[in-house]
Amino acid sequence: MRGQRRLVAVCPQAEQAGLTPGMPLAQARALCPTLDPVPADPEGDRAALARLAAWCERYTPLAVADPPDGVVLDITGCAHLLGGEAALAADLQARLERAGLAARIAVAGSAAAAWALALARPGVLPPGEEAAALGPLPLALLRLDPRTVAGLRRLGVRTVAELARLPRGEITARFGAAPLLRLDQVLGAAGEAIVWPQAATPWSERQDFAEPIGTPESLAAALGVLAGRLCARLATARQGGRRFVARFRRVDGDAPAIAVATALPVRDAAWLTRLLTAQLETVDPGFGVEAVTLAAAATAPLAPRQSRLGDLAQPAEERLAMTLDRLGGRLGPEAVWRPAPVASHVPERSLRRAAPLAPPPDWLTGPPRPVRLLRRPEPISAVAPIPDDPPLLFRWRGTLHRVRAASGPERIAAEWWRRPEPAGEREEADLVRDYYRVEDGAGARFWLFRTGRNAGAATARWFLHGLFG
Amino acid sequence: MSTLHSLPTYSLAVLRARLAAAAIPAGRHGSVAFGDPRVDAHLPPGGLALGALHEVAAEGIEAETGALTAAFAAALLARLLTRVGEARPVIWIARRADLYPPGLAAYGLDPARLLLVQSGSDALTLGAAETALRDGAAASVVAETGAFPRLAGRRLTLAAEAGGSTGLVLRRWPHGRKAAGAGRAEGSAATRWRIATVPSLPEGHAPGAPRWQVTLTHARGGRPGEWTMTADKGEDDAPYALRVVAGLADAAGGTSQRRRA
Repeated sequence: MRGQRRLVAVCPQAEQAGLTPGMPLAQARALCPTLDPVPADPEGDRAALARLAAWCERYTPLAVADPPDGVVLDITGCAHLLGGEAALAADLQARLERAGLAARIAVAGSAAAAWALALARPGVLPPGEEAAALGPLPLALLRLDPRTVAGLRRLGVRTVAELARLPRGEITARFGAAPLLRLDQVLGAAGEAIVWPQAATPWSERQDFAEPIGTPESLAAALGVLAGRLCARLATARQGGRRFVARFRRVDGDAPAIAVATALPVRDAAWLTRLLTAQLETVDPGFGVEAVTLAAAATAPLAPRQSRLGDLAQPAEERLAMTLDRLGGRLGPEAVWRPAPVASHVPERSLRRAAPLAPPPDWLTGPPRPVRLLRRPEPISAVAPIPDDPPLLFRWRGTLHRVRAASGPERIAAEWWRRPEPAGEREEADLVRDYYRVEDGAGARFWLFRTGRNAGAATARWFLHGLFG
Repeated sequence: MSTLHSLPTYSLAVLRARLAAAAIPAGRHGSVAFGDPRVDAHLPPGGLALGALHEVAAEGIEAETGALTAAFAAALLARLLTRVGEARPVIWIARRADLYPPGLAAYGLDPARLLLVQSGSDALTLGAAETALRDGAAASVVAETGAFPRLAGRRLTLAAEAGGSTGLVLRRWPHGRKAAGAGRAEGSAATRWRIATVPSLPEGHAPGAPRWQVTLTHARGGRPGEWTMTADKGEDDAPYALRVVAGLADAAGGTSQRRRA
């Protein structure tokens, strides 16, 4: 029934009172008069789960939220840092409990097996025991859709082991590929594509602190140490980083990050440290930072020629790139660009922002153009008694200008093919602009245009689009 | 000044010696001449000093549109960039992204040498300009700003000296936002210029080559002056080049440079 309010989740006490998720609210109130329902907040739940997954990156860089209520960690090669898989699971369980979170944790050879075991029998599953441990589990734990589970149940198939015994061809013919794929995933015979929020990069360094740090000086020092280690490794591989991300893991679980992008590949530790510390003020250390990671998110080959930036001997391009990086760090990387021409007749569309170190484009010379072009032409009131002539007078931003000399018109036709909808009568007039270069009595020069002439002088409208020096 | 009084242990002689030691030799980075002795004679290195800071302002509506200052800067930069051995670009920092490179090209500034930077405030503009000047990776750094405190001017001057880039500060205020007296010279630039429009000599009904009244209000080690300049195409139809039409007045009192055009 539409609009009926139902329970989404229940607390342990409510569960004891006989309430279950999916139960209508009215029924729940009847069973438990002291019920204190809180409106569901799926957005908030998702965000909290994402934060939890980010916090789990303390164990492994590969951690991702699995909505609605799971987190998947790939601890391959990470468990020994905490004394084994069981110790890691126990550490995680303890920390979550301290934070007031109930969790069911299972470790297995595949994400699907761990998922199923977390619900059925939390713990660590030694390798090679998948079939024995998972065989007796009900089919619902294979993450199949309920109709498939119901269909298999009508055939008398209730457990994973029973499904595994059926002829594979017949299952696929009847239920599609999903049941066998899930079966293979849970038994480790098929891989599962998991999209990790941060791509695993080998160019990552991490520094943990016994005592949380928080002062800007100590954070900057930590960045310096990490930059030194990372750049040394990059140097041996003849690589340079294009994009770096520093993440500060706070004791409260949040992990603010700063990112820098460089115009050329970089592996100079001092330079990288300077770029990063310039943004350090945006990082709120909260109650303290217990670990700092620095990763090169994008790398490119960099010959071992000159690693000491800041030298006068270094190539001009590297010096320029350094300056541009510094400006980008202050003002944002998109604030620095190289203007490049676009083949468009419409002046406001004739420029684009190219990457600052892109090869310089060719600029063709054309008719006179203003040195300042308003982003949007500003309407002006103009007195132009003769239809084809420039105005005699115009008012712009409250000041009256008397036209002393003018040249034009230069007709610029708009690109009608850019118009999404068929041009009406009014748009038809706007498709053509007649530009005039005018000088007022004081010698100031303006770029004006008129539209709407074709529809009669009465509807002609004037705009100011640019200023000449 | 109060800080000096609070340091009684320094004698005047000591302070003088320190100033002399700190003084940077004028024109260490060379200069670029206007090519007209009537202007160059006013500037101690015989032209616009490189690796120094220069301030350009305009009056009235031009203080808001920034068109006149941009055109004058483009004409100066055209000379500066075409020096032999100069391959560095120009970094132009502004709050508003309304600079139109094709228009600058008319004054001889090659748009391919231009890098644009958009900042969020005058303070950020000045900070970014200082960074860029100090690095010296650009031939020139242009900063458009309304506010230009004395301290910022001092910092930019030092950065330009250190990096060997030439700084141009173009004074420009948001529309209707220019405070009374805000245009007063307060920076510590090597030269300060004030540009105003002069009606051109029309070619028929069309506007002629732009003409400006250029006032050198301050030149460190030199003397102020005032000229009418035109930016016109040379005989070979080259881009506009700055050319003195008439020296209107000479602050040194000379009347020798009367109109000749």
